[in-house]
Amino acid sequence: MSQVDNNPKNFEEIYYDDDIVKKFILATMVFAGVAFLAGLMAALQLAYWPMNMNMEWLTFGRLRPLHTNAAIFAFAGNAIFAGIYHSTQRLLKARMFSDSLSKIHFWGWQLIIVAAAITLPLGYSQAKEYAELEWPIDIAIAVIWVVFAINFFGTLWKRREKHMYVALWFYIATIITVAVLHIVNSIEIPVSLFKSYPVYAGIQDALVQWWYGHNAVAFFLTTPFLGLMYYYLPKAANRPVYSYRLSIIHFWALVFIYIWAGPHHLLYTALPEWAQTLGMVFSVMLWAPSWGGMINGLLTLKGAWHTLRTDPIIKFFVAALTFYGMATFEGPLLSIKTVSGLAHYTDWIVGHVHGGALGWNGFLTFAMFYYLVPRLWNTKLYSEKLANIHFWIGFLGVMGYYVSMVAAGITQGLMWRAIGADGKLIYPDFVETVTKIIPLYWARAFSGTLFIIGFAVMAYNIYKTIKAAPASQPVAVKVTSNMKVQETSTETHRALEGAATTFSVLTLLAVLVGSVIEIYPTLSLHKYVPKDVQTVPYSQLELAGRDIYIREGCYVCHSQQIRPMAAEVLRYGKPSTVADSMYDRPFQWGSKRTGPDLARVGKKYPDFWHFRHMIDPRATTPNSIMPAYPWLERHKIDFVSLRKKLSVMQNLGVPYTDEEVANADIQAEKDAKKVAAELKAQGAPDNLHDKEIVALIAYLQSMGQKEKKK
Amino acid sequence: MSNQDQDNLTDHEYDGIREYDNKLPIWWLATFIGTVIFAFIYWLHYEFAGGPDLQAELKIEMEQLQEKTGGHGHDHGTAVAVSEEELLKLMTSADTVSNGKLAFTGKCASCHGDQLQGLIGPNLVDEYWIHGKGSLSEIHTVVSQGVPEKGMPAWGAMLKEDEIKSIVAYIGSQKGSNPANPKAPQGEKVVNN
Repeated sequence: MSQVDNNPKNFEEIYYDDDIVKKFILATMVFAGVAFLAGLMAALQLAYWPMNMNMEWLTFGRLRPLHTNAAIFAFAGNAIFAGIYHSTQRLLKARMFSDSLSKIHFWGWQLIIVAAAITLPLGYSQAKEYAELEWPIDIAIAVIWVVFAINFFGTLWKRREKHMYVALWFYIATIITVAVLHIVNSIEIPVSLFKSYPVYAGIQDALVQWWYGHNAVAFFLTTPFLGLMYYYLPKAANRPVYSYRLSIIHFWALVFIYIWAGPHHLLYTALPEWAQTLGMVFSVMLWAPSWGGMINGLLTLKGAWHTLRTDPIIKFFVAALTFYGMATFEGPLLSIKTVSGLAHYTDWIVGHVHGGALGWNGFLTFAMFYYLVPRLWNTKLYSEKLANIHFWIGFLGVMGYYVSMVAAGITQGLMWRAIGADGKLIYPDFVETVTKIIPLYWARAFSGTLFIIGFAVMAYNIYKTIKAAPASQPVAVKVTSNMKVQETSTETHRALEGAATTFSVLTLLAVLVGSVIEIYPTLSLHKYVPKDVQTVPYSQLELAGRDIYIREGCYVCHSQQIRPMAAEVLRYGKPSTVADSMYDRPFQWGSKRTGPDLARVGKKYPDFWHFRHMIDPRATTPNSIMPAYPWLERHKIDFVSLRKKLSVMQNLGVPYTDEEVANADIQAEKDAKKVAAELKAQGAPDNLHDKEIVALIAYLQSMGQKEKKK
Repeated sequence: MSNQDQDNLTDHEYDGIREYDNKLPIWWLATFIGTVIFAFIYWLHYEFAGGPDLQAELKIEMEQLQEKTGGHGHDHGTAVAVSEEELLKLMTSADTVSNGKLAFTGKCASCHGDQLQGLIGPNLVDEYWIHGKGSLSEIHTVVSQGVPEKGMPAWGAMLKEDEIKSIVAYIGSQKGSNPANPKAPQGEKVVNN
C-alpha cells in the first residue's frame, strides 16, 4: 500500500460505463435460455428420434452445432464480456477506452449470434466443431474480436493503476490467443456466399481444428472464467486471495502448456504418433496448473467457510471451482492413450464437457450475476431463498447429467470392444450398443431439464430484482493514478505486471511455441503419405454428395476414423491412414459415434440399401435412432456450383485435370444418371437422377475406396 | 485475520482486493513435478527408446485373436465346411427353425424381406439362385462368407456358428412358401432341387 497518493489535488472523478455491462448481462440471460433449450431438444432427440418433428432445420446434425455455438459463444461469450467490462474498469481505475467500440462490440456480437442462429439450421456449415460458421461470419467474428481487443488494450493503455491484477493476465491471454486460434483455423477459400473449403486437408485440418477446438475450451471457457473468478470470488467473500505466488506459477504454466494439448482429441487416429504423444503428455502436465486455479480460489475462502451455509453466491463459487477441479482432473485422465481408447467417441466425453460447461462456466456465471445484478441496479436481490433453490436444483441437474453420461459412455465403450472366446465381437450390431443406453439418454434429458428449471428460477429472480430497482443515476468514483510512481519492486514479475505491452508479448510467445512446434511439421502432409500409395480424388458427384454430408452435419454422430484396435478392425475394417483423408476438406473424422464409423462403409451395402436407409433408417436397421432424411429424395443436386468447387479444390492442390474441372457439372449429371438407373433396377422410384440422395449415395459408396497402390 | 496472516499479506491492492503470498502447497508442487517427470519418461520411451507404436500393438492384438479363432481370417468369415445332411437334419428341428426365424428377422429381413420375398437382396424362396444352386450347404457358405462386392456381409465374422446354421435351416424350411409381392427372379433357374 506504499503507493497510495494522499494529495487530494490528484483525485479525479470518473464514471464507469456500467450500461454496457448491463447490456451484456441481459444478452447472456437471453442466449443462455436459447442454448439450454437447444441442448434439451438435442438430448430428447437422442432419447426419442422423432423429436426433430421431421423438419430438416431441427435434425440433430444441424441442431447440435447450434447448441454448442450458442452455449460457447452466445452464453459464455456474453457472460465473459459482462464480467470483463465490469471488472477491468475497476481494476484499472479507468472507464473503457471507447464507448463507441463497446457498443460496436456488443451489437456486433449479438448480430453474429443471430446470423449463426439463422445459418446453422439452414445447413450452412463448415462441419468443423465449434468452428461451423461460414466464412462471412468468420470474418465478422475476427473484426468484432479486434474491436474488443482495441477497446481492452486501449483501456490498459489509459489505466491509472500501474500494476495489473491476476484477473487481467487471464483476460490478456484470452484476447490474444482466441484471435490467433480463430484466424488460423478459419483460413478458407470461398466457393460462394455461404460455402468455403479450408486450406488444410486431412491430418493437417484435423490437427489445426483440434488445436483450435481444444484451446477454445482453454482460452474461451477456462482462462477468462479463471480471470472472473479471481475478481469476483475475493470480492464476494471479502477475503484476500490465497497466494500471489501460486497465481504467477499457475498462470504461466497454464498458458504455456494448454496450447500443446489439442492432439489428445486425435489419439489412435492417423495423426503422426509423435503429435499424439505430445498431446497426451502435455495434457497430463496440465493437471497441476489447472488445479492451481481451483486451490487459489477455494483456499481464498479459508476463514470464510461459514458463509458457504448462508450465502448462495459462495455456494455457486465453491461448486463451480469443484466442478472445474473435477473436469481438469478428468481431462488429463481421458488424455492417457488407453483411457482415451475406451472413452473416445462415447458419451463419457459428453459428460466430461458438460461437467465443465454446466458446472464450471454455468455456475461461475450464475455466481457472478447474483453478485453483480443487485450492485449494478443499486438494490437488493429479490429473493435469497430462490437463489438457494436455484443452486440445489441446478446442482442435482449437473450431477445427474454427468453420472448418466459417464455410465452411458463406459457401457457403450465396453460393448464396442467386447470380443468373445471365439474371437468374434460380442455385439456386432452397432445398434445394440445404442438401444442399451437409451434409458440413460432419458436420464440425461431429465437432468438437463432440472438445470433449466434452476435457470428459469434465476431468470425470474433477476427480473424481479431489476423491476424493483430504483431509477439510478451513474455515480462518480474518486480515483487517483499511480502511473507516474517509480517502480520500486525488485522482483521481476512484479515489474512485468506494470509493463502491459511486454506482458502481452510474452503471453503471445508462450502460446506460439507449442502451436508452431505441433502444426508446422504437418503442413507438409505429403511426407506422411507412403510413396507407393496413391489416393484418387473424389469424383464430381461424390464431392457434391460430400457437401450434403457436411450440410446435414453427419459428422456429429458418425466418425470417419478407424482406430488401430482389434475390435475396430473386426467391426469396421483396416485402420484409417493418412492417405485416406488427404484430399478431405474439411476432414470429417468426427468425435462422437452415436452411429457407427463410416470410414470404410463404401461398397459394404448396395445402393438401394442406402436409399431405403436414408429415407427411413428403421427399414434397414430396426431400432435405429437416426433421423429420417426424406428431403434428400426431393431436393435437387446443385450441379451448377461444381465447376467452381472443383476449381477451388484444384487451386488447393487436389490433382483434378483442367478437363475434369471444366466438365464438372456434365460429368456429375452423367454419373448421377448411372446411379439412379442402378437404383431403379434394384427397386427404387423413378426420376432420382437429379436428386440429392443420389449424390450422397455416390459419396457413401466411395468411402474407404480411394486408396490405390501405385 | 491473525497476525501471522497479516505478515503474509503483500502490499498489492486492486479495487479493494488484497493478496497473500502463501507458499505453494507442497503436494501441489509434487504433483506438478511428478507429471513433468512422467511426461518426459513417457516421451523418451515411445519416441526414442523403441516403445511399440500403435501399429505394432495392433499386430500383437490381431495375432492373439488369430490364436483364438484357430487361424481363420476374419474378413471373410469362417469357412468351416458343413455337410448337407447335417443342415437337412437341423431343418426338422422346430427349435432350430424358430431360432433361425428370430435371427433372420433381426439380421436378414431388412434386405431379404420378412417373408424372404426379396427386397434389397434376392428372393430366397423362389427357384432362382445367384450363388450356387440353392443347396443348404451353399447357402451356408454365402451366409458365412458373404458376397462383399454385392453388399452381402460375411456373417461368419459376426454370428456364432449355431446361429448361422439355424438361419440356413429356417431359409430351407421356407422353400416354396410363395409370399406376397415377391422380388423378380434373379440368377439361374434351378429345377429338380
